[in-house]
Amino acid sequence: MFSNFDFGVIPLSLPFIWQGLLYSLKLTATAMTGGIILGTLLALARLSGGVVLGTISTFYVNTLRSIPLLMVILWFFFLIPIFTGSPMGAEKSAMITFTLFEAAFYAEIMRAGIQSVSRGQINAGYAIGMTYWQTMGHVILPQAFRNMLPVLLTQTIILFQDTSLVYAIGAKDLLKAAEITGKNYNRPVEMYIFSAVVYFAICFSLSMLVKHLNKRIAIIR
Amino acid sequence: MIEINKVSKWYGSFQVLTDCTTQIAKGEVVVVCGPSGSGKSTLIKCVNGLEPIQQGNIAVNGTAINDPKTDLPKLRARVGMVFQHFELFPHMSIIKNLSIGQVKVLGRSEDEAHAKGMKLLERVGLKAHANKYPGEMSGGQQQRVAIARALSMDPICMLFDEPTSALDPEMINEVLDVMVELAHEGMTMMVVTHEMGFARKVANRVVFMDQGKIVEDAAKEEFFGQPRSERAQQFLSKILHH
Repeated sequence: MFSNFDFGVIPLSLPFIWQGLLYSLKLTATAMTGGIILGTLLALARLSGGVVLGTISTFYVNTLRSIPLLMVILWFFFLIPIFTGSPMGAEKSAMITFTLFEAAFYAEIMRAGIQSVSRGQINAGYAIGMTYWQTMGHVILPQAFRNMLPVLLTQTIILFQDTSLVYAIGAKDLLKAAEITGKNYNRPVEMYIFSAVVYFAICFSLSMLVKHLNKRIAIIR
Repeated sequence: MIEINKVSKWYGSFQVLTDCTTQIAKGEVVVVCGPSGSGKSTLIKCVNGLEPIQQGNIAVNGTAINDPKTDLPKLRARVGMVFQHFELFPHMSIIKNLSIGQVKVLGRSEDEAHAKGMKLLERVGLKAHANKYPGEMSGGQQQRVAIARALSMDPICMLFDEPTSALDPEMINEVLDVMVELAHEGMTMMVVTHEMGFARKVANRVVFMDQGKIVEDAAKEEFFGQPRSERAQQFLSKILHH
């Protein structure tokens, strides 16, 4: 069945695909970094015991986790120009949407991570005179982060796969680049197969890394 | 040094401490003992504000713990505390455990903190282990490091919350030895423990608690000789006659 296929289109399209892949990776890295930072703050707010902060954080996390990502991407893309008066561009819009959306998921992971560190560690930090932020920064969060590293990475793999949804608003990611070149060379199937292989190769390597990390963390414990 | 005055504390509607009053003078060693659930660990955690109190007041070196204006971190930095489960920071090397508080809280330089940490490690006999991680050491060694960590902050007094009850029997003495030495040097100490041998050796006073109340607060000789309360007599007869 592959006799009609012409994979010669792949080398021709590589520079364009490369640009798309770079954007996908950049989007993943931005959403991961921003999402983990914002998510950690949300988790701390939720665990703070404060009524106002806790309610806001819980509401944020629960709401975003209950809405399909594609809808959030579309809504944000179409709503922002209404408020700001000018469109922000699909690429930038997607970066912000993904950061805000992923924060809700990273928040739950970090919450579990913080709770995995014993209460006694917080007391130990306080007992040598550390403030709340010093105790979190030097004692609790490094341990929470280490305990949750495999889960955080798994979430990042899902995030990387989900970045393909931005093609709905026309941002030029890996999938969109494959679609455009496929159309240009009139070889859409070959290009879709090729992009799938790229997604697979990246996600599979990351999964292997997660597996390796899980083993290492099991040894440390 | 430590003044505990009519302290009461509730967890929800459950009262864990009732009207506790005692004082610990500078240089004094006070052992707090009593059956499980008597509130002794809770009381010692109230002294440096790890647990809030709802009634009464506690002052350390003249500073009120439960005054909202008190800079708690600053006060805690001067009050050493040793926990039942050591609570060393598992992601840091031993020497880092000893220097982090000095650097981040007291503002000492890394070199100064390192030097002081090494000196204290030598004192508790663990200099060779400076670059190990807590997980690589025995419970007794970890607890000695925990004492050294508390001492690294140059505390004006030390709180011990059941420092030997999570240890294997053969490791208890190495920790008690360090504590006895501290007591002989004149450190003000409040020690929650069941180690009556330690109490006999170095305590000035023994505070006996039951059901959240201080039942007996007496000089060591008096407490071990003839405790006034029946509850303390019972307790002593049970733990001493084995």
